[in-house]
Amino acid sequence: MAEAINDTSITKVKAQKSMSPWAVARRKFLRNKLAMISLFFLMTVSILSFLAPYITTVDITRVNIGSMSLTPSSEHWFGTDKSGRDVFTRLLYGGRVSLLVGISCTLLIITFGTLIGALAGFFGGIVDALLMRFTDFILNFPLLVFVIVLNAVFFGKLGGVPVLIAVISVLGWGGVARLVRSKILSEKENEYILAAISIGSRPAKVIMKHLLPNVLSTIIVQATLTFAAMIVVESGLSYLGFGVPAETPSWGNMLAASREPDVLQNMPWIWIPPALTLVFTILSINFIGEGIKDALNPKSLR
Amino acid sequence: MSNVVDIQHKEQSPPLPSNQETLLEVKDLKTYYPVKGGFFRRTVGHVKAVDGVSFSLKKGETLGLVGESGCGKSTAGRTILKLLKPSGGRITFDGEDITNIRGSRLRERRKDFQMVFQDPYASLNPMQMVGDIISEPIKNYYPRKKAKDIKQEVMELLNRVGLPEDAYHKYAHEFSGGQRQRIGIARALALKPKLIIADEPVSALDVSVQSQVLNLLNELQDDFNLTYLFIAHDLSVVKHMSDHIGIMYLGHIVEIADKKSIYEEPLHPYTQALISAVPEPNPKKKKERIVLKGDVPSPENPPSGCPFHTRCPVAVDKCSTIKPELKEVKPGRKVACILVD
Repeated sequence: MAEAINDTSITKVKAQKSMSPWAVARRKFLRNKLAMISLFFLMTVSILSFLAPYITTVDITRVNIGSMSLTPSSEHWFGTDKSGRDVFTRLLYGGRVSLLVGISCTLLIITFGTLIGALAGFFGGIVDALLMRFTDFILNFPLLVFVIVLNAVFFGKLGGVPVLIAVISVLGWGGVARLVRSKILSEKENEYILAAISIGSRPAKVIMKHLLPNVLSTIIVQATLTFAAMIVVESGLSYLGFGVPAETPSWGNMLAASREPDVLQNMPWIWIPPALTLVFTILSINFIGEGIKDALNPKSLR
Repeated sequence: MSNVVDIQHKEQSPPLPSNQETLLEVKDLKTYYPVKGGFFRRTVGHVKAVDGVSFSLKKGETLGLVGESGCGKSTAGRTILKLLKPSGGRITFDGEDITNIRGSRLRERRKDFQMVFQDPYASLNPMQMVGDIISEPIKNYYPRKKAKDIKQEVMELLNRVGLPEDAYHKYAHEFSGGQRQRIGIARALALKPKLIIADEPVSALDVSVQSQVLNLLNELQDDFNLTYLFIAHDLSVVKHMSDHIGIMYLGHIVEIADKKSIYEEPLHPYTQALISAVPEPNPKKKKERIVLKGDVPSPENPPSGCPFHTRCPVAVDKCSTIKPELKEVKPGRKVACILVD
C-alpha cells in the first residue's frame, strides 16, 4: 500500500519542476571548472578569429619588404614574418580557417557517420552488411596519401579550403559510423524500442525520437573529439604543404615557416604564437569533451 | 504472496459459454532463431524457442502462459504480436490471418493488440516525458487530432491507471517500479486495444506492489473489455489472473486447461512438479514436493521424443522415441503426454 500513500502525497505537495536528463547534465557541466575555463578560452579564440577584420586592419596578403622579420613591438604585437606580414593579424585570420575547417569537417563527418551508423544498426541484416562493408572500404583509404594525391591532381584547378573540407569529410566518417552503429545495436535491445514499434511508430520515428536521443551523448562527445582531431589534421596537412593553399593563412601554414632552421632557431615569435594557440585550442576542446562526457554520465557525481 | 496483501480474487465466474467469439487463435506456432557459425557465418542450426504452440483465446478471457525461464513464453508472446517473425504456423486474430501481414496493414492491426512489458525500467524511454510516452500511440494513429484533445485523453488514462495528473510533465526516472508499470499500462491502453499481452508485468516488482498492479489489470479488463494473454513464471500470480492456463516447457505447451483443473488435478508430470512447488500457506497441510533433476535441455538441440523425458520422474522407454501430441483428454483439457489418457 506504500505506493498509494505516496501517490496522494505527490498530488498534495506541488512538485517542483522536474529536470530533464539534459537539464541535469547541463547543471553538472556548468559546475565543471576546467571545462568552463576551456569553453571560455575557445569562445575567446573563436570570437577574435571571426571578428578579425574588425580587430586588425592590416592587409594579410601584402608583402612588405621594408618590415621583414621584425621582433615584437607595439606596432607589430607578435612581430612580422620573413615576408614582412604581421604575425598577430595572420594568427587571427589563420584561426578563422583552422576553426572553419574543423567545424565544417566535424559537422559533415558526424552527420554522415550518424546517418550510416543508425541505419545499419537499426535495420540490421543485409542493410547492415552492405553499409558496414562500404564503411570498411572507406576506412581503408589512407587519408594523408589520398589528400596529397588529390591535391596534386587538382593543383591549381580546384584547390582551396572547400576541397580540403570535402576530402577530409568523405574519408573521415567511418569511425563515427562504427561507433554509432554499435551504440544503436545495444540501445535497440531495450524494451522501449519494441514498445515503440508495437504502438505503431514508423522506423524513422523510432530512430529519431527513441534511438538517437539516447545515443546522442556519445555522439556529442565524439563530435568534440573529432573537432580537435580535424584541427590537427588541417594543421598537419598545411604544415606539410598539402592542406590549405600557402597564400591563405592558417595555423598549420604559419607553423610551416618553422621548417626553415633560421626561423626555428632565431625567430621564435613567428612560430610560437600559432603553436601555442593550436595546443591550447585542442587542449580546451578535449577538456570540454571530457566535461560533457562526465556531465552526461549518470554515474559520475561531479 | 496471497497471505501478504489482500487480493481481489477474480470472481469465480461460471465457465464461459463455448459459443463466445474467438479473438485469437494460434496454430502450431514456431519461432526459430538461426545459429550462425563457421567461416562464412552460415546458419548451422536453430534455437527452437517456440516449437509448435497452439491455443485459442476467446473474447474477454485471460489465458495464463506459465513456464520456467527460457521455455519460450515471452518469445511466443512477441511472435503473436508480430514483433518477431514467426518461422511457421498460423496466427488468426479477430478472424484475420495475421501470420504474414506486413507494412501498413500490420501497422493498422497493431492498434488492436498491445503489450505490457516485463522490465518497467527498460520499457520506458528515459528521454521522454510521461505525457509524450502515453500520447505517442495516439499521435501515431490519429495525427489530425487536436493537441488539447490528446492531452485530455492522456490525463484520463493517467487517472484511470492511478497516477497523479502532474505525472504528465515528469520523466520516467522519477517514478517507482510500480508507477512505471502503470505508465506502461496506460501506453498500452491508449489505442483501446482488444488484446493485451502482458509479458511478466509484475515479476520485476515488489510483492506489495505486485498485487496493486494485478488488481489494476483485473479492473481494466472489465472496464475496457480486454482479452489478456498473461505470461508469467509465478503460478500464484497466474492463479489470480487467468481463466485458462497453459503450461510451457522447452517451446511446447504440455498442458492447457481451465484454472481449476490445473491447480486441483494436474495431469502432466511437469505440471504436477510445478504445482507441488507452489508454497502452501497452511503449515499443517502436508504435501509432497516433486523435485525435478537436471537442467532444461538446450532448445538448440532438444531431446528426441517427448521434450520432457530427460527430467520426467515417470518416464518410460518409449518417451524418448514418441513425440506426444497435445490431445484432448477431457472436454477443455489438453495434455501432451503418452502416459495420460
